[in-house]
Amino acid sequence: MSNLSGVSSIGEPEFLKLVDVSKTFGSHRVLDKINLTVSEGEVLVIIGPSGSGKSTLLRCINFIAAPDEGEVIFEGHVWKSRISKYNFLANRRYEQKLTALRSEIGMVFQNFNVFPHMTAAQNVMLGLTKVRKQNKDLARKAAVEALTQVGLADKVDQYPDKLSGGQKQRVAIARALALKPKVMLFDEATSSLDPELVNGILEEIRRLAKAGMTMVVVTHEMNFAFQVAHRIVFMDEGRIVEIGTPEEIRKTTEPRTRSFLSAILN
Amino acid sequence: MNSYKFDWNVIDKYFPELIRGLGITLEISLVGMAIALVFGLLLAMGRLSSMRFIRTVANAITQLFRSIPLFVMLFWVYYGLSLKFHILFTEFQAGALALGITGGAYMAEVFRGGLMAVDPGQREAAMAMGISRGTTFSHVIFPQALRVVIPPSVNVYVGLLKGATIVSVIGVSDMIYVAQYVSLQTFTPFELYSVAGIIFVALTVSISGFAWMLERRLGRGRSD
Repeated sequence: MSNLSGVSSIGEPEFLKLVDVSKTFGSHRVLDKINLTVSEGEVLVIIGPSGSGKSTLLRCINFIAAPDEGEVIFEGHVWKSRISKYNFLANRRYEQKLTALRSEIGMVFQNFNVFPHMTAAQNVMLGLTKVRKQNKDLARKAAVEALTQVGLADKVDQYPDKLSGGQKQRVAIARALALKPKVMLFDEATSSLDPELVNGILEEIRRLAKAGMTMVVVTHEMNFAFQVAHRIVFMDEGRIVEIGTPEEIRKTTEPRTRSFLSAILN
Repeated sequence: MNSYKFDWNVIDKYFPELIRGLGITLEISLVGMAIALVFGLLLAMGRLSSMRFIRTVANAITQLFRSIPLFVMLFWVYYGLSLKFHILFTEFQAGALALGITGGAYMAEVFRGGLMAVDPGQREAAMAMGISRGTTFSHVIFPQALRVVIPPSVNVYVGLLKGATIVSVIGVSDMIYVAQYVSLQTFTPFELYSVAGIIFVALTVSISGFAWMLERRLGRGRSD
């Protein structure tokens, strides 16, 4: 059983790094001093029970949920949360700076979050025109290309309500990829899909993995996780319990990981 | 009791005057609504701000201005501001501003509801792409809120349109002012006010029809 079939090689070892990242909602500590390093080209899959902080961890990477403490280091640049309680303008300025980080990191959500008032092409074009400052013609060409790559060549001018869940998720993937991100984050991208549509989306993620995209993937699809991951992170109660290759995690003696895996796999 | 003699001829005679007054009523209510839209949107954004201080102030302003009767608001703007602060408005300006402030407080509630109806995931998706806050608001959040906002906004406008009849008390020559002025000479208030009322009903029905068409157009391409 090799997990390395079709998995690309790994580059720069400290491409993306999380240092002591913590986050609290009210009195609940969702993330507790998370330290994690992702190499360039690595596929890191995060697993764990619901409420273990997987999604929050993902959202801290691009500051959609800003960490309360700790820092995110991406390509040598250090990002910290600098939310002031009183200085409204400073917050706005920092928020503006964060767009630079976010535009390098693509994200795909559980609920697709496609824009319902825009066609598939317009969904993809928005980032290209507003973030990459491309003109409309160029953006449209790139959008059609990105949609074609995810198999939606014939849906380019459709509104989302005419698309299936799987197709909406493909629009969301095309929308993220069109910006040519250096990292992709997948937050339970197949969890709200009908069962027959899940494999198609997993196939897209697998295709990206083979192309060498750096990815952090939160998923409940264990077979997929073990096939596609370079390393698997097991989280529980806001902490990383263990990190290892799929082979190591499969043979682990750590009791919490074992009980989680046996509950899921049987 | 039955000594009042109806004389509908006055309507024929003064109809052009009434229509001219109607023009003023429409104009002042539309200017008032324009002010209400801007003011209301700002208040709504304030009420949804992440800064507590801004939220509190915006909430207080909304609550206060919504509670003040339009009549009192009109007096404050027209007489109060000029007496106390030497800010002089024409009758028309004062009327439009009073309508705008009161309407704005109502629109704040409407916009807040519309903005909150947009799935937070939409903002997150736009943020995740590196789209700025301003663009996220103008291209993603606001267009989706608009669809929810239109029917109640029309209600607010109809309210302003009827509220606009009050501006006659500071001497704006709107339709009610004309009706009042003419009836003082002809002694036919019943005829004149009734016709004014009928015109308002016709107007309100047309506005609602227009809103219905607008809503359908904006709903294009979506069935959710």
